[in-house]
Amino acid sequence: MDLGTRKILDRSFTAVGITSIVLMALALLIVVVPIVRGGLGALYFTGTVEHRKIQYEEFGEGDGRRLTREIEETEKARAPVYRFLGEFEAEMESMDPVKKRELASKYGKVKRVLAHMLGPLPGEPEPILLRFQYGRTRWEQVEESLHDLLFVTKWDYSNPEEMAKEYFVPRIDEFRGTALAGLFPYVENNIESMMLPRPTFYWGFITNKSLDAHIFGGIWAEIQGTFFLAVGAMLFAFPLGVIAAIYFTEYAKDNFFTSMLRSANSTLAGVPSIVFGLFGLAFFINTVKVSESKSVLAGSLTLAIMVLPTIIRAAEEAILAVPITYKEASLGLGSTKWRTIMTVILPAALPGIITGGIISLGRAAGETAPIIFTAAVSVGATIGLADVFSSPTPALSWNIYNLASEHEAANEIRHVQYGMVLSLISIVLLLNLSAILLRARISKKLKG
Amino acid sequence: MTDTVSDSGKKPDAFVLSPEKLRRQRIAKFVGEGFLLAVASFVAIVVLFIFYFVAVDAIPFFQLRGFTEFFTSTGWYPADEPGEFGALAIIYGSGMVTVGSALIAVPLGISAAICLSDVLPFSVRQYAKPVIEMLAAIPSVAYGFFALVIFAPLLQNFGGPILMWAWWLIAGPFVLLAVIVAADLLASGKGDEARERVMRTAFTLLFGIIAVGFLYWVGKTLSAIQILSGTNALNVSIILSFMALPTIVSVSEDSLQAVGRELREGSYALGATRAETIVKTVLPAASSGILAAVILGIMRAIGETMVVWMASGNSSHIPDPWFNYLESIRTLTATIAGDMGEADQVTGSARYHVLFAMGLLLLVFSFVSNFISERIVVRQRKILAGE
Repeated sequence: MDLGTRKILDRSFTAVGITSIVLMALALLIVVVPIVRGGLGALYFTGTVEHRKIQYEEFGEGDGRRLTREIEETEKARAPVYRFLGEFEAEMESMDPVKKRELASKYGKVKRVLAHMLGPLPGEPEPILLRFQYGRTRWEQVEESLHDLLFVTKWDYSNPEEMAKEYFVPRIDEFRGTALAGLFPYVENNIESMMLPRPTFYWGFITNKSLDAHIFGGIWAEIQGTFFLAVGAMLFAFPLGVIAAIYFTEYAKDNFFTSMLRSANSTLAGVPSIVFGLFGLAFFINTVKVSESKSVLAGSLTLAIMVLPTIIRAAEEAILAVPITYKEASLGLGSTKWRTIMTVILPAALPGIITGGIISLGRAAGETAPIIFTAAVSVGATIGLADVFSSPTPALSWNIYNLASEHEAANEIRHVQYGMVLSLISIVLLLNLSAILLRARISKKLKG
Repeated sequence: MTDTVSDSGKKPDAFVLSPEKLRRQRIAKFVGEGFLLAVASFVAIVVLFIFYFVAVDAIPFFQLRGFTEFFTSTGWYPADEPGEFGALAIIYGSGMVTVGSALIAVPLGISAAICLSDVLPFSVRQYAKPVIEMLAAIPSVAYGFFALVIFAPLLQNFGGPILMWAWWLIAGPFVLLAVIVAADLLASGKGDEARERVMRTAFTLLFGIIAVGFLYWVGKTLSAIQILSGTNALNVSIILSFMALPTIVSVSEDSLQAVGRELREGSYALGATRAETIVKTVLPAASSGILAAVILGIMRAIGETMVVWMASGNSSHIPDPWFNYLESIRTLTATIAGDMGEADQVTGSARYHVLFAMGLLLLVFSFVSNFISERIVVRQRKILAGE
């Protein structure tokens, strides 16, 4: 190979390396950007009058007098809609039975869409579920409903080779010549005065409890549950981990027993998280019976076992990073080994140990699999501190899964899911960021 | 250390511990160290407990149903009466996404690690490392959410074009590089410089046209693919590779760093370029550490639950043909997570214990691969320390 080829090879080698770094950064961006965008949409969006109604009636937030005025305004704008419905119903009475039956089902669909958009129609019985007591709270949902109202969705199966294609037919065609025909253009033109959309900053998304399985309201119960679980796990794991690290760095002799303990530590670090869940179920709940069934305590203990190896490793590294001169000076002054550890080594290693603790806290907060069988429930109220020994809790990580894949209206509450993911990611990344900054400061300090 | 102060003359007794005190101190030391040891052994006890309690609940399954069905049948109907508990397809699914994610993450991760440790200047590396840590810190359920809600619909609607773009982006640069290098190799060494230049241009053009044709043909084939369901093995493999990357990068970077300056400088001194130094000197020296990194990354992928549960489609069958990554699959972890909810009301049934059998399988796998990677790292450390 001559020099030119070697140079080209060298350059291309560098290019490959840099491309892979860029690809990784791209991967991070591709994952994070849509989540941040969607998540912010849960906090800041165009809210309708229905949103303000819920906030006032369920949480006592907002300006009551202004709301009353707005409701009056929307009632006025909605009145013609209800008049159209009334007129059409009267007209239907006089139709011949075949046509009546045919139109009745189509009319039922119109009524369902309208009730979904505007809230319960006058004259109907008051619905029991909260989700049917209010109309659409977000403007983009209103737009979806409007589209549903104006168009019928049909599927084109004409080409058996390809997947069926969706297409839309104006709904007004079904009601041509009846009293209902006027409804569609009216709603299309007056939708804004019927819903009064306004840019809304919904801080309550974080601090409110959820209403009717997250159809409305916020995610406070989940945030609190995550907090309890993660902090609980650290209460167990942090002291244990630091003590074990002291043993490994200061007392352990270099023998078979110690190396066995060390490989036990790395084995524990490699156990799949779902197996921790199985163990938590089989041991803490079915054998030791720390609680009747799932509880925050059982979940915290399971998480504690999971993060223990990380804490031990981080604490070990932090202790080993303390310059040996500190220790020698202290021992030289005649203090005992234990005193040296407590007064010299640990204080010097503390920031490093705390860094490890913070990272583990983030990991405990984000982990799902270990709490599925031990602590998490999909719907639940906020629990008090006294309940942690006996009752399960909703948690961000579990509820993200649950809302995204098991919720009956998963498609309608995407904004809640995005909001939850963003909250969880922000919690975890902020914890990690503070750990990184703390570590940078330590390394600067140790360098002098 | 306390009985040597007698010469100073001033109150020597103050520094001498009475036998009583000495004994108490010794007991305190013994108790204290015993306590430390007990806490440190806690981890080992936990590991034993995990094995014991998972095995205790797994064994009844094998007593009830034996081994053959679990490992050789693909019929998974745990809810039927009597149920079928063939986990072969599920084990295959786990293996499939693991291999898939390794295929993406290993080359990418190793080249990123090399770039971080040997190519980029220190100032850039300082910022790249935290980014990698962030990638590692994002909770798995967030990746799962991304895979299910954002990525799966994209794959389903624009699967072909996405595959084509990925092909062009990833294979394109490599193929073009290969063209340049191949042309250069064939043209060089003919002596005459002018002739060499002409030949090089001719070869580059010839190979370039062939290469672009090849890229275009594969891209066109890919873009014609219709993906029926976005929740499939490909989706999961890609997302899992994101999750395995940080582990692979940081562990292999550590082992590349551990190789030390002397080897590198020796190679440079002999006139090798950076690429030659890395490929022929540094990589062989760090190979066992990199192997350990790959094993750790694979472990992360096979043990991952949320992503596969949310985005793999959870259908228990072996894809047809066996390498079809566009079909839905089901994995061990997702089965445990998904079936326990229905099974745990009936503790004692085969349906409950089969999940522990799967847990045991995962546990044994992680134990074995952890053991291997640890051995490898220890060996590398010994070799680098000078055999």
